[in-house]
Amino acid sequence: MSERIIEFRDALCEAMSEEMRDDQKVFLLGEEVAQYNGAYKISKGMLDEFGPRRVIDTPISESGFSGMAIGAAMRGLRPIVEFMSWSFSLVAADPILNNAAKMLYMSGGQFGCPIVFRGNDGAGGQLGSTHSWCVESLYANVPGLKMAIPYDAYDAKGMLKTAIRDDNPVFFLESERLLSTTGHVPQEDYTVPFGQAFVRRQGTDCTLISFGRPLHFCFEAAEELAKEGIDCEIIDGRTIRPLDIDTMVKSVKKTNACVVVDQSWSFASIGSEVASQIHRYCFDDLDNFVHRVHSDDVPTPYASNLEQAYLPNTRKICEAVRSATYNT
Amino acid sequence: MPIEITMPRLSDTMEEGTLLHWHKQVGDVVSSGDVLADIETDKATMELQSFDDGIFSEILVQEGEKVEVGKVIALLSEEVESSDSQASPPNSSSPSQQEEHTGMTISPVARRLADEYGVDIRTIQGSGPSGRVIKRDILQVVDTTKETSAAAATTKPAELLQPIVSEPEVVATSQPIVPVGDWRENRSEPLSNMRQVIAKRLVESKQTIPHYQVTMSFDMDPLLDMRKTLNKQLAPSGVKLSVNDFLVRCCALAMSEHPAFNASFGGDCIYYHGPVNVGIAIALPEEKGGGLVVGSIRDADQKSLRAISQESARLGNKARDKGLSVEEMSDTTFTISNLGMFGVEHFTAIINPPNSAILAVGAAVEKPVVRDGELVVGHELSATLSLDHRVIDGAMAARYLKTLKDLIENPAALLV
Repeated sequence: MSERIIEFRDALCEAMSEEMRDDQKVFLLGEEVAQYNGAYKISKGMLDEFGPRRVIDTPISESGFSGMAIGAAMRGLRPIVEFMSWSFSLVAADPILNNAAKMLYMSGGQFGCPIVFRGNDGAGGQLGSTHSWCVESLYANVPGLKMAIPYDAYDAKGMLKTAIRDDNPVFFLESERLLSTTGHVPQEDYTVPFGQAFVRRQGTDCTLISFGRPLHFCFEAAEELAKEGIDCEIIDGRTIRPLDIDTMVKSVKKTNACVVVDQSWSFASIGSEVASQIHRYCFDDLDNFVHRVHSDDVPTPYASNLEQAYLPNTRKICEAVRSATYNT
Repeated sequence: MPIEITMPRLSDTMEEGTLLHWHKQVGDVVSSGDVLADIETDKATMELQSFDDGIFSEILVQEGEKVEVGKVIALLSEEVESSDSQASPPNSSSPSQQEEHTGMTISPVARRLADEYGVDIRTIQGSGPSGRVIKRDILQVVDTTKETSAAAATTKPAELLQPIVSEPEVVATSQPIVPVGDWRENRSEPLSNMRQVIAKRLVESKQTIPHYQVTMSFDMDPLLDMRKTLNKQLAPSGVKLSVNDFLVRCCALAMSEHPAFNASFGGDCIYYHGPVNVGIAIALPEEKGGGLVVGSIRDADQKSLRAISQESARLGNKARDKGLSVEEMSDTTFTISNLGMFGVEHFTAIINPPNSAILAVGAAVEKPVVRDGELVVGHELSATLSLDHRVIDGAMAARYLKTLKDLIENPAALLV
């Protein structure tokens, strides 16, 4: 079987298009998704294939079109809502958190909400503090939703298909920095199930746990640390809700050291949740407390050098791993 | 602020000490100069005195524990804080609980591994922050133990005996001559403080000092005759001079003619010591763990035979009874090791650094000797000098022994 190398953004497009071909109830809406082929060209060609009834350009009103899509989902359709940036979803917090996530519960099981909210999450590169939001820690706190963060093209397609087929609201977090990365994506139909973390690098000395873009920094750090004789195992959590703590625990029981790398701010974050669970399930296996690497506790800086310094970058990860493994 | 009481360095060679006994309990008022505890150092038992006033607030090291010099062993709170300690009464939890929760930290996985491998965590100095015992520390101990036991296994006496035992007729007829007891089991015992120091210092001595030996025999009859006379005269005053006492004086007097024997090698120089302090090796009773110490008879060249005898007896008794203080063991410039009382005729000794020489003394034995052309029975004693060739050459050693011979065989000089 030959390799088919495509971009992350095209993998997303294939996932949506294939699901829309298979299921007439699936449709896409969002700002610039139709005539402009998507602000990030993810929905390129979809208007031509599916027409304006299923690929819908919306006004700049996240609260409005999110609420409309939630209504459609309650009535049996399966909408995909594209946020140009998850930063803009904040104005739609009431519909996506109060309505979508709670609908099944509050309707006593009468109405579900099979919807996908997707878009760019995290610092895209000099977008300033209001457009660089990492929403995972904020939103993952809410029960009733699922949250997925793909790292490569293969997972992007397989996980987005799983998201579209899921009967629950799925918050699908992409990274602008990963859209142009390429990877092997098979021709044939496949999905990547939720709640199954992926050990992306085997190692013996320290477990690195991360989601999405910061995994890139983890790989860089692992290479640097390997030169110092520290062998890192890297776990891509893939989904935050559900969280595959079992895979993480298994790894930490082997390495006895753990660093969680999370692009959220540290306070009450994904990192703190994962660390807490590792502490609970690996208590007698830890040689040191679980170390955490986050974005600095300030609004995202605009200046390029400051933004780099602010992120959970390679330097911070290396320092954390050295500390966690007593190699300072 | 509590005052930290640390394991003091009570001798030059002390690296860790064992807390034998606490004289104070939590809650006791402590004044400067009070004895807080008995500490066993590498060779002696010493008292630990307080330099401060306060309330004895916390014991961090339990009796019997061995800790490194500098480690905090107890806390003294200033008296102002004593009101707090009433609010929360002195810790009355059991010693084992205190041991768990004070004075040492250990990572969870290190604790688990220590349990699994049966490693005694109290013997480990942690390499983590603030001395936390971490995984690496436990695995190091486990690795070392594995190596040692593997090495022991290869030289197991049982295996060496195997071929003989396996001969059928031997197996068929032989009954154990001695009932097999626990003592025949392979076993290991941790080194005592003293044995650790003996091992370390003597290996260092034998490996770094170019030893050589020179032996000479002495006609002991004149000295033994004089000893007999003197002991008869001194018996009412309770003094009994030993042959060794005479030898101490002889050696000390010979030093003044041969200063190189009262010297130490100093790397780029030779230190010539002023005082002549003769060390005497004292074997300790095996039922008390054995070992040996060297007691120091200070200014031995200035002391009379009677004074040497009294000092020697006092040091011997104290060493065997409760141990010598550092003061009583330090600053020797020459050492005498005497196994004559066991009937040993000849042996060699390892130099006791920083000395340059040690005299190994055998027994005065009856021998046929030629005297004035006639064969008679006389007493002869053989003594062997071990020397540091960096300080003392062979001819110098021979000349020293010649001086010693003159003194021993003409003992009247020892009285003046």
